[in-house]
Formats: sequence, C-alpha cells, structure tokens
Amino acid sequence: MAAITENYSLGLQVQLDKIDSELKKLWAESQGAMTRASLVNLAVYSEVPGSLEKNTQLIAKIAENHACRAIVIEADCKAKANRVEAWISAHCHVSRTGSQQICSDQISFLLEGPCTSLLPSIVFSHLDSEPMDPQLWAWVDRVIYDSQRWKDFPEQMRLVESARKEAKQRIVLCDLNWTRLDKTRSALAQFFDHPTSHHHFAKMKNARIDFAPGFRSTAVLFAGWLAAQLHWNAEKTTRNGALQFVDSSGHKIDIELRERNGEPIGQIALNSREVEFVVARAKCGDLLEVSRGKPGEKRTPQLMPAGSNDPVSLMSEELMRGGPHYVYLHALNCVRELL
Amino acid sequence: MNRTADQPEANPLREGLSTRAVPQPCSIVIFGATGDLTHRKLIPALYNLAADGDLPPAVAIIGFARREKNDEQFRAELEEATRKFSRQAVRDEIWKTFAQSIFYHQSEFGDEAGYKTLAKRLDKIDKERGTRGNRLFYFAAAPDQFESILKHLKAAGLNETCKGSWARVIVEKPFGTDLASARELNRIVRSSFAEDQTYRIDHFLGKETAQNILVLRFANAIFAPLWNTHYIDHVQITAAETLGVEGRAGFYERAGALRDMVQNHLLQLLCLVAMEPPMDLSADSIRDEKVKIVRSLRRFAQSEVATNVVRGQYAEGAINGKPVIGYRQEPNVKPDSETETFVALRLFIDDWRWADVPIYMRVGKRLPKSATEISIHFKKAPAVLFNKDLRDQNVLVIRIQPDEGIALRIHAKVPGASFRVEPVKMDFHYGTSFGKASPEAYERLLLDAMSGDATLFARRDEVEEAWAFIDVIEHAWAAKKGAPGLFFYPAGSWGPEEADDLLARDGHAWRRL
Repeated sequence: MAAITENYSLGLQVQLDKIDSELKKLWAESQGAMTRASLVNLAVYSEVPGSLEKNTQLIAKIAENHACRAIVIEADCKAKANRVEAWISAHCHVSRTGSQQICSDQISFLLEGPCTSLLPSIVFSHLDSEPMDPQLWAWVDRVIYDSQRWKDFPEQMRLVESARKEAKQRIVLCDLNWTRLDKTRSALAQFFDHPTSHHHFAKMKNARIDFAPGFRSTAVLFAGWLAAQLHWNAEKTTRNGALQFVDSSGHKIDIELRERNGEPIGQIALNSREVEFVVARAKCGDLLEVSRGKPGEKRTPQLMPAGSNDPVSLMSEELMRGGPHYVYLHALNCVRELL
Repeated sequence: MNRTADQPEANPLREGLSTRAVPQPCSIVIFGATGDLTHRKLIPALYNLAADGDLPPAVAIIGFARREKNDEQFRAELEEATRKFSRQAVRDEIWKTFAQSIFYHQSEFGDEAGYKTLAKRLDKIDKERGTRGNRLFYFAAAPDQFESILKHLKAAGLNETCKGSWARVIVEKPFGTDLASARELNRIVRSSFAEDQTYRIDHFLGKETAQNILVLRFANAIFAPLWNTHYIDHVQITAAETLGVEGRAGFYERAGALRDMVQNHLLQLLCLVAMEPPMDLSADSIRDEKVKIVRSLRRFAQSEVATNVVRGQYAEGAINGKPVIGYRQEPNVKPDSETETFVALRLFIDDWRWADVPIYMRVGKRLPKSATEISIHFKKAPAVLFNKDLRDQNVLVIRIQPDEGIALRIHAKVPGASFRVEPVKMDFHYGTSFGKASPEAYERLLLDAMSGDATLFARRDEVEEAWAFIDVIEHAWAAKKGAPGLFFYPAGSWGPEEADDLLARDGHAWRRL
C-alpha cells in the first residue's frame, strides 16, 4: 500500500516495463477498501523543472471531482543524457455517500534527453482504454491550455491550431483563460435575458475592463466575446490602450482596458446610451456584485458566484463541460490580432 | 428540459453559457409561507439557486400567510430555517442580499382585500426590482384552501398579466384524494389558470436519477432493442422507508400508502420506465407519452383487487435494533385504523411493448431500509450449455435514492478449469463518477417553473388517469362485503408474507435491497 498517497508524493517508483503489473498489484492489495474510478485519461505535460510534484498536487485535487487515469509528464528535451523514471500512485477520497474510498490512479514520468521523443509511445501504452494509434493527436479529444501564460500568443496558437488540423477527429480547444471568464460572462449576460433589454445592444457606446497585471489577454478575450456575440468588428488600431470596435450600424465602441491590482478581471462596466451595466468583484472577493442603472440612479446590487482563478477550480470547471467551444473560437478570432 | 420551452427571444450573450432554459425575472408568491414546506424546502432551494448564480437577480419572494409579522421577522425566521436545511452552508453576504428580495404579506386566504393589496404590492415590486410583471404563485397551503385562494387571485386580476409577462401557478400534491376530487381541483384551478400556466409538482421527478431514466433509455442504443416484452421478464419498483408516520398521522390516516405514494411518485417512475420515445424533449411530447402508459394500465375489476394488490400495516417491531411501536399505537391514529402503510401491486400495461410483462410495485413504511429503486429483470438465457442450472436473470437496477446509480447483473465464468458461472455486478455510482453534488429536486423544479418548462410537472390528464386507476383499488378496499384483507407485518420486516406470495405465484421474488 505504499503507493496510496495523500501527501502528493509521486508514489512508488517502478520500472517502465513493470507499470501495468505494479498497478494491478496496487489495486489487488486495496480491493474492498477502495474503488478505482476513471472517466477520462488526463495527460499533463510540462517542461518546467520540478513540475511533477506541483502537477501531482493539482491532480490529487482535481481527481476528487473528476475520476481519471492521470499521466503526468515532466520532460527536459534539452538534456544531453537520457533519463526515464516512472512512478505510480493513487489519489483517494471518501465518496459523497461516505461509504467508500474512491481512487484515481496516476502514472508519472520524468523524461530527459533524446528519449523524450518516445513520449507518444509512453503515453499510448498507459491510456486507460484499448490503444494503439501511432499519432498522439488521434488519441486526444480535448487540449486544455492556459493562454494567459503565453508569451507569444500568435505562435502558440498557431501550434495548437495546426495540431488540431492534423488530427482526423474533432479536438476541442479548451483555454483556461476563457474558462476564467465564465462567471463574469454569465453575470453580464443575465442583464439581457429579458427581450426588453435587447434594444441596448444597438446602443452600446463604450466599455471599461479592469484587469490585473498579467491578465491583459483575459480582458482582450472578454472584449472579443462581446464583439463576436454582438457582431462588432475590431479596428486594428488602438488608441490610449483602448480597443476600438464598430457595430453593424457603423457606430464606434471603445473598450478601455485598465490595469489594476486585484482579481484577473476586477470590474466590467458596459455603457449603452441609457444604462450602465456593471459587474464587479464584491469586497469579499469570491462573489460578483452586479448592478445596472442610469448615471446617478440608486441601484440594487445583487451577488453572484465569481468562480475561482486557481488551476484546480478552472480545470474542474472545464472538465465538467462538453461541447465544441464555438463561442470561444469566435471570440478569439475577433481579437486574434490584438492578443 | 431544453430550450424548446416557451423561451423569449434568445440573448446572444447566453450562447454557450447554458444548455437549459433561462429562468426569467419574476415575483414568487408563496401561499402558506409560514408552513413546513416553505421553511424546509422552498426557501433553502431558492437560496441555493441564488448562491449558485442560477436565480435571476430580479426575483422577489413574497410570503402570503395569516400570521401577523413583518418583513424583518419573516426574513429572520427563514434565515434560521435555511441555515438548518440548506444543501450548502449559508454565507452571510449572500443571505443578506437574498433576504432583501423576501417580503411578507399578511392576509387571511379568504380576505378579498388582502389580494387587492397584494396586487398593488406586486406592481410596486415590479417597478422597484425589475420583476417585469411575471408572477409565480406557489400553493404550499392545504388543498382545502386552494379554491378560496384561486377565486380571490382571479378577482384581483392576478391570474392575468400584461403583454409579454406571465402568471403561473405551482400546485403541491396531493392533487385530490380520488378522481372526483382531482377533477374538481383541476376545474377550480382551470377557472383561474389555463393548463399551460399550471405546474403540478411531484418532487420525485426533480430527482437527478429520475431524469436519468430517460437518458439511460434513449441515449444508449444497447437498451432500445431489449426494452420490451420479448426480453424483459418483469419489472419491480420499490420505495421503502424505515420511518413511520412521524407526526403526519392526521394526513396519513386519510391518505394511506396507495394515495400518498403510488398515485403520484411510483406511477410517475413507471411512466418514465415504460413510455415510448417522445418526439422531442418538449414538455408535451414527454407528457403525451407518459399519459399513454397510465391509460394503458390494466384496470382491475373489483373482484381482482385482492389477487393483485396486497395492503399491509406495520405492527410493533424493531428498526436497526431499536424497538418501535405499531401503526395503531402511533399518536393520533385510531386504534382500529385500517389505513395501509404498505402496499404491493401486480400490474400490467396493455400495450404492444409491455404485453404480459408483470410490473410489481411495493411501497411501505417501517421497512428494514430506506431505498427507492427500479429493477428490470430480463428473461433467462436458453437453458442449454452452461445455462442449464442458472437461477439468476440479468437485472438492470436503477437506484433512485440513496446512492443514486445504475447496476447491471450479468453472468461470468468463475476462473478455473470448469465452466462454473456466477452472477457479477457492473455498478455505476453517481457519487463515484461525478464529484459534483446533485441539486435538490425543488431547486430544479422551481427553476423550471421560472423558465416556463413544464416537462417535469404532471399534466391534468396524467393526474386524472392515475386517480381513475387508483380509485378501483380504493373502492374495493372500502367495500363492506368481500373487501380484501389488511395484513400486518412487524416493523423492520419487508412487509406481509402475502406480498411475497403475490410474486411467488408468477415464479418471481422481490429483489433483495
């Protein structure tokens, strides 16, 4: 039982060719006390040194809500010498009914040097279903990434999109930078649920988005979403940090982006010619305060969930969803050149 | 169930954010606002919706009841109840905002003036809070108050709305006590609200696993060819509880297990299991198919009731090792009460799909464990080869509560040189596979009513057809001569032996839970 872990160690180190047999042994030992569950193969790849431990921590938390077979890889392609090490472990938690330990298993790999080219074969042979296919992409249904961290957005996006095109099946692109906006988008969208609010769409004048340092791309994606859904076209030039759009009637809409310390998106104010729609972080931090009103008018703010910016919450949110993310792709296309 | 409900013009900013109909701003008026249902279920459900961000900000909740109190007192009472009964812990800042949308309206149910002031108050709330003239009236009061409430709502013009707004009424069970009273109740409701404004709530349909029956059947092609008389031997539906009447003796003495559980919950579950695929997921398509099942239930002649229905009443016994008194010894129960606390039925659906497939149902109080499940028992494989001595069938079990999930029993070879075959179980648990907790049934149903989606609510014809079926049994039990007997069972047992005999005659046995 040494490999059953709660403290985020990598578990039991095993030889590469003994992974399957060691996993079987692990589950045989725990039979009765634990139930193994797996709904998805979740492969995590990183080239950041020391990422194995950090990503193991994330997987341990994600597995509480999303039973999976996790394959966590840390690769150093630049190392000169070959090194391949593997570990197996299980992440267990008590089920909601409180009667059983539910466990997901994890296989961790540390790859260094030229052997990193073996990555596809290593991943294939440990997927929790019947393999094999020579192309890694053929086994991927969803690629999850966080574009907020990208230094060169166009180049990174080109890589992701070309991989997507190479695959024969549908691959859904899941950007955690987009997931990060879910609650804020919902909070703004609810202002317009009633058809009598729709006339404001044609009267939009300007908007202001406050974002935290490092989250400009998140704010631009939000602007892209508004533009895509409301049929605005992006002007290529920006003036004083503002993004400029033109609606279908030729009216200009300025979106001011302001860097402010705080949450990734601190506040959004969308102004039609009559009413201001505001979504802002509440003082308590994990709620959104939403209000609408004419300038100077007394408002009745309401609270809505704000979601969380931590990777586990974002991943959990993303794994709960399905679908092709067309809205994301439309938003992205609207502001691609501004990112 | 999806966006086919009467949704207004689509909001482009909602695209991709929600696959369900969006609830609309409205005022929710609860009649019987000081009662148990409001405190234990309705307000906690609305709070949870608010905390999850599913409630539109422009919602007002108006409690209508007789007792003297003001908004602040009412809010304080509801806060205490919500802290006790809510699925998730109450957060002060969310409650504070949520509580601002709660109001108390004091009036007798029969006082005309109270409804006139209610109308004025709702207009004011519309202006102040943006509830847009939409009204949802929730009848959490006793059924004998419905007529008075409806009459006065109509007189105050509250059943009608201006263009672009809506008024809906949610009616809690029981929807009558027999066919005649159900028809009368429906007539009364219809005199003020049209059928498409009327939402008859059956909280069993709000349960995630009940809704999953449709997904299991119609999203998995493997079951479709097997789901009929050619492959299914019989079906069992069990709703067992360890509890006794728990202070509801006054109600239970008049109702009994048949009216309390079978007429609504169990027949609704049967409909979901037995219905044909609907044309689409709209409310009426689904309900059209459900009502066909109730209509196809073979009606018993009075003389057939005794051979197809067993009624029982718990006597003293023990639950989990703790001695408990018998039903007749419960407070407020007549010492010679004939009320059934257990009922077992053998039914047939006379349609092409289910011809000659017995459906066994049982429901009871003070049974050894609390569990609701549906089991589909498939016919045995041909008795040749290694199947010669097989006693077991393939069984598909749908667990409604607790430990929601689905299990399939199949046969497998025992490892070894011989061909020994034993049953094994493939088991899916919601709690294991999905980390996210299911919302409470009332949350889902309130949201649906605000969205105008009536799929999970019973339609008038479903209710009346169900009563028509139940009435035959009730009449046979009430007959002075030749009435089927009432059988006693010790608390903590699985009901009277006669319930076992009901299945044994067909060569079947109740599934062990």
